[in-house]
Amino acid sequence: MKMFKLLLLLTALGVGTIATIIYSGIVDVAADEPHNEFVYWLLEETRKNSITKAAKNIEVPNLDDPELLLMGGTDYEFMCASCHLKPGQGKSDMSVGLYPAPPNLAVANDNHEGHEHGDDTQAARNNFWVIKHGIKASGMPAWGKTHDDQRIWAMVAFIKRLPTLTPDQYQILTAVE
Amino acid sequence: MKTTLIKTVSKIALVLIPAITLSMTASAHDPKLHAKKAEKLDCSKMDHSKMDMKDPVAIAMMKKCTKQAKKLKNKMDHSKMDKKMDHSKMKKIADKNIKKDEDKNH
Repeated sequence: MKMFKLLLLLTALGVGTIATIIYSGIVDVAADEPHNEFVYWLLEETRKNSITKAAKNIEVPNLDDPELLLMGGTDYEFMCASCHLKPGQGKSDMSVGLYPAPPNLAVANDNHEGHEHGDDTQAARNNFWVIKHGIKASGMPAWGKTHDDQRIWAMVAFIKRLPTLTPDQYQILTAVE
Repeated sequence: MKTTLIKTVSKIALVLIPAITLSMTASAHDPKLHAKKAEKLDCSKMDHSKMDMKDPVAIAMMKKCTKQAKKLKNKMDHSKMDKKMDHSKMKKIADKNIKKDEDKNH
């Protein structure tokens, strides 16, 4: 009985604390005010593990087809480059203003700060899943609602080669004919 | 009379100063930066000597630039040009322009 009372008290305390946090408005949701380290870690780990789990059974096609690079390049330029940048570009309005900051996909995975990608196949799976489904409350849209899988794989193929491209190569692959 | 004028001026200043300050901040960021233009394909920078023709990136670039070159070639079809181009009219236009220039000089 004593144990039950204690449990009830703790539950009421927990619910009360959460309700206070929600309804008092003390949580700062401004994008120009970063999370504290604990909250950032919590959200990052949740995101990372969720994507890895959801994407683990996705079958990766051959991403070395030049046609995929051409199709993905044009889409990348119009749909992704404003946030995820391009060779020779250090920042953009979106990359600076969004929080969490969108990763710079024009640099190699090893240079991405704060998260790891695993091997190439897992990175491709994760990229496909993220492009298709988006990420809640991050600014990343679910492109799968308007683009078929083939176009998304084309973007994945392009993103795979993006860190190796020079600005001139990027221009040729992404420009409209 | 003077006090009313001073009050009106200070009221206008109270509205105008923040409005001007805000509008200046807004125009400090060039709106042209947001205009997304489709970049035209420029194959002139392609360096063939450095290209590995087994690399998918090089193959993709070659495909795109070859396609563009073919398109340009088709556009520059001289046989078709000759049929449509009316040189006699061209001469007249050129003559007119010369005449206009002469008139201006007078």
